[in-house]
Formats: sequence, structure tokens, C-alpha cells
Amino acid sequence: MTSPPPLPRPVRAEAGEPLDVTMTVNGTEVSLSLPARVTLADALRDHLGLTGTHLGCEHGVCGMCTVLVNGSAARACLLFACQLDGADIVTVEGLGRPDDLHPLQEAFGAHHALQCGFCTPGFLLSSYDLLAHKPDVAEEDLPVELSGVLCRCTGYRNILSAVSEVAGAHRDGIPGPRNCGRHVLMGHTAAEPGAKSAPEPVGVREIELPQGDPTFTVEVTQELTASLEKTWAVLDDIDLVAACLPGAELTEHLGDEKYRGRARVSVGPIRLSFVGLAQVTERDAAAHRLRVIGQGEDAGGGRTQADILLVAEEAGAGTRLRATAQVYLTGRIAQFGRALAGDVSRRMFEQFAAAVEETAVSGVRTTARKPPGALALLAATLVAKAREWGRRLRRAEHNPPTHPKGTQR
Amino acid sequence: MKAAPFAYVRPATLDDAVAELVRSAGEGKVLAGGQSLVPILAMRLARPSTVVDIGALSELDFVRREGNELVVGALVRQRTLEGHPLAAEVPLLLLALPWIGHRELRSRGTVCGSIAHADPAAELPAVACCLGASLEIAGPAGRRTVAAAEFFHGAMATSVGAEDVLAAVRFPVAGSGEGFGFAEIARRHGDFALAGVATRFRAGDGEAVLTAFGVSDRPVTRDVTGLGDDEVADLARGLVDTAGDTHGSREYRQRLVAALAVRELARARRAAEGGSA
Repeated sequence: MTSPPPLPRPVRAEAGEPLDVTMTVNGTEVSLSLPARVTLADALRDHLGLTGTHLGCEHGVCGMCTVLVNGSAARACLLFACQLDGADIVTVEGLGRPDDLHPLQEAFGAHHALQCGFCTPGFLLSSYDLLAHKPDVAEEDLPVELSGVLCRCTGYRNILSAVSEVAGAHRDGIPGPRNCGRHVLMGHTAAEPGAKSAPEPVGVREIELPQGDPTFTVEVTQELTASLEKTWAVLDDIDLVAACLPGAELTEHLGDEKYRGRARVSVGPIRLSFVGLAQVTERDAAAHRLRVIGQGEDAGGGRTQADILLVAEEAGAGTRLRATAQVYLTGRIAQFGRALAGDVSRRMFEQFAAAVEETAVSGVRTTARKPPGALALLAATLVAKAREWGRRLRRAEHNPPTHPKGTQR
Repeated sequence: MKAAPFAYVRPATLDDAVAELVRSAGEGKVLAGGQSLVPILAMRLARPSTVVDIGALSELDFVRREGNELVVGALVRQRTLEGHPLAAEVPLLLLALPWIGHRELRSRGTVCGSIAHADPAAELPAVACCLGASLEIAGPAGRRTVAAAEFFHGAMATSVGAEDVLAAVRFPVAGSGEGFGFAEIARRHGDFALAGVATRFRAGDGEAVLTAFGVSDRPVTRDVTGLGDDEVADLARGLVDTAGDTHGSREYRQRLVAALAVRELARARRAAEGGSA
């Protein structure tokens, strides 16, 4: 067995007074500041934006909020977050990635074991715990072993089939969680709900880029008529770069190639206002390469980080501008459809490239830009989506799918 | 459902924990695993001014054999004990632990916490009574040890006072030729029992002990040495000291506990005779 988890540190806090808690959530260490009465479930959902942990009864009966605490399944609604100082937590977000699901998640899908999906995170982590500790569990014991989680649409038969299949395939041990690495997670939250909104991270001076896979990657290549020289002149001036970024505004030069700024994005009813930091980590005039990393936090509880590489190269009389951005999203913003978020980001880069072109050609700083027009952005995105669907449809007509039901690739 | 605000203290020593309880003048509550306490807080059935979390008291995080006793400290979780090599020394524990709630609750719930909470339908208080365990209590006046038979005063009432911490439980280790039985009937696995029994039988002198739970305000233990099945059933029926509720009438509970008593005493006897060569 693994070594016992460390015991928490002694503390004292008056009623309502926030306590500092440090724990590891899905492989990432997070520090929170919250009152003692905040449960782990609420800390995960409201303070870290990990809403995959569902809440049903909130007194330990239904099992919706089941997560792994130090490797064993436990009810997140029956634990105060402050008790878990130093603990290791795995939520359903840590179990697998959309493109690399855990075998249990694959099996739940294949067996139609997630009808409304509300109990699914609880069942996944409860069954993970079962198979991790009892890989030889007998099939007839599964109903009792999984009785700690309730399914309201009574999908038990399919859930048992899914778990049974995975148990049979992994008698030598279930594979570990697949999405536990360094992620961006919100931390340091307000004392009491409603007391004050999340503080603006004005004191933050360092950018910490997460490791692991980004939420999405955007790659855009745009041909510009402006010469390479003029294009690089724009890229080489951070104020001009910021002015070309739709909705962005540079508010402070911190020195050492670090900058503070704001960015506003609005897409349909979604309006996000980020404050954050950017840092130029590479500026190669000879190769015409500019690399910027940035992070921003939205008052609504979303966080975004990006690693952006801009490369300009000669293309005939003009310039080819390549932008590659790896974008990491967390919090509520991550709920926003990933594909759509990627499309919106692509539009923003296209607008950025157009602004770089305009600035490079005219040689003057363009006037302050509005945030990317909500309608325009969404319309462009949807048109692009529609085109893609049209293409897929046509492809599908010519090549009807031959792979059997249940396989995805 | 959210708990009302409370002051939170996580002391480093047992003495400090007791001092904190003294300081909160009867309004403090000890938190260990929290699997019984947190629901009560969430429903605001309890609103302690101070919660004293004993989660950092490393001195209470032990399972060890001392003479003929298995001593389990207050920080030991039910699931930890379930998987502990020394638990086999107290076979009744291994029979009873899987009945407690679900795996997810046993991950955090503590052995001592369940005993200190003293729910009349809980498993571990019955185990403690059936085996004649003793309970180590730390209070402002120092340590004292109370026998299980005197420990449970009524529903959720024990010898643990408002300024005390249940520090450890001492279970007698099974002797040779001893066998045990344990079973309960609940509406659903993991729910509190409508009725349950713990039994113990010794092959040499035929000593037989029955503890019924979920049928009265505390576990009830009787010496049933030498009684036949019908007598045991009659005796068990008489232990039901509760009116019916929505989950089962008084008569239903009487039938349950009688059937369980006969069956689990037979199981204990088989185990004892099988194990005593």
C-alpha cells in the first residue's frame, strides 16, 4: 500500500474567518482560502470551477459528489475542505480527457451507462475506487459494492455491465487517472460567498504556464500584403501588437518584457473581462519570431492562459504570418463548448492578422478597437461550422461509415 | 444544505483538544471522520459554536496489539481497520465493518467516531458491547476507561462528556475456540439497520452472547449460554423496545431480530467448533 497521507497542520479560525488550505487536485497543487464550513464539494465547484463533481442530497446519501481522497472514494459533501489540508484529490475531470478517456469512461459510453449523466461522475469514481482496491471483485458483488451511489433514472443494469467489463479486462489493476498533471485552477477565493467577488489578481507578477495538454490549439496562417519588414515592425512593438488584438488593452509596462493588461471578449450573451499579465519570452528579429505567454482571470471565475507564437516570413512581395496559440481554459469559461471556443479564438487571430496588416501598411497605430463584435464573431464562427458540417455530410455520403457501433476511431 | 458558521480548531495534541472543548463551554463538538456529524451540521440539527477537528492528532493514529487487546486510536478510519493485518485478531470486527454505510463513508468514518456517536442502529457500538470492549476517554481530569456495558446511556448519549474526547477503543482479541456472527436487515445496503445482531460463542464452555441493535435506544447484550433456538428467539423478540415506524412495525422488528439471533448464533457456533479442532 501507499504511505499514509500527511496529517494536516494545526490551525484555528473564528466562525466565518477564512482558513488557508493547500491540496492537490487532479495533480495540481492549489491554495484556497475559505471558511471552515465550506465543503470539499463546494470548494471544487465554486472555488475551483470543477463542476464535474455533482451535488445531490448534500448529506451523504446519494453519492453524486463522490471523489477520490488520498486514493479512496469519499463523499465530497461530507468533508470540509479545511480538513483536507495536504490531501490528494481526484475528481472526474482528472480521470480522463475528451480525447483520451479512461477505460471506465469508454465502457460507460459503450454500455449506455449514462442516461441523464448526473450520477456518472459519482459512479465513475466509486467504481474506480472499487477496481483499484479489489480488482478481483466478483460480478455478483457489484450491485452491493456500487450501492453507495444512486442513479435516479435507474440505469443500474448498464452501469453494472460497464464496470463488469472493465473489471474483466483489468484483473491485474485498473489504469490510473489520465488527466492529472499541472492544470490551471482558480485559487485564493473570497472569504464568504457574497462577501466580495474574486479579487483582481493585481498583485500577481509571475506567469505560470501549465504543463500538459492545452484545452485547444489554434493555428492560423494569413497572407499579408505588407512587407516582412513592416510586419515585423508591428510585431516588434508590444503596444502595436496589443492594439491589434481585438478587445485587448495594455495598461502597464512592468519591465523585463512583462506587461499588465485587460482583454474583453463577448460572444453572444457571454461577456468576459480578463485582467492579467503577458510576457514576451522570445523576440527574434532575425527569424521574425515573437513568443508571448499570457494569463488572465475573469471576475466570473474563469481563467485562461495562452502560449502564443507569431512567426512572420517572406511570401512574394508580402508576408505570411503564422500564429500558433496553445490555450488553457479553466473555471466556468471552460464549460463553453471547446470547439466553439477554438473557433472564436481563430476568428480573433484572423482579426488580429487583419489589424497587423492595416497597421503595417498604414504605418500608424490604429485607433482603439472595440472588443470583437459579438454578432460578427459568432456569425463568422457559425458560418464556418456550417461549411464544415456541409463538407462532412458530403464526405459521409460518399463514404458511409463502416466501423461498428460503439467504436469511435 | 450548508452548515451554519462555526469556529474551527485543529489542535496538535490531545491535551490541546480537551482544552479547546473546555474553552468552548459545552458548545464544542469533536470532528474526526465527520460522516455522522457533517450531515447533522448540514441539516442544522446541530450548531456547535466550535468544531474541534482531531484530524492532526498523530498520537491517536494507531492500531496496535497490547496484551490480549487490539487498541484502535481515534483517528483510525473504518476502511483502514478493514484492511489492517491486525484486524483478523478480532474476527467480529471484520464481519461487522463491511456493513457500515458504504465504502465511500468508511473511507473517512472512524471506528471511535461511530462508537462515540452511538447511533442505536450503528454496528460498532454493538460489536463493542458483544465483545465487552473498553473505551478510553480523555477529559479535563485526565484519562479514564469505561466498559462498553456502561458506556452507552441512550440514543446518541454516552459516557463521553462535552469536554471529553474518545481517544481509543480496546477490543478483546479472540481466544481459541471462539466464533462470531453478525448480520443486519436494512431497507437498502448501507442504510441503518431495522434490526441487527452480533453474536459470540466459545466452544470449550459453550458460553454464548447475543447483542441486538437497532431495536432499542442502545445495543442490548444478553448471555444466552445453554439456550435452545426457540428460547433464543423468544429472548430476542423481547429485546425490541421500540414502537414501529414507517420502515417497519414493532412486530416486524421482533421477527427480524429473532430470526437473525438464531441464525447468527448458529454461525458463531459453527465457526467456534470448526476453528477449535
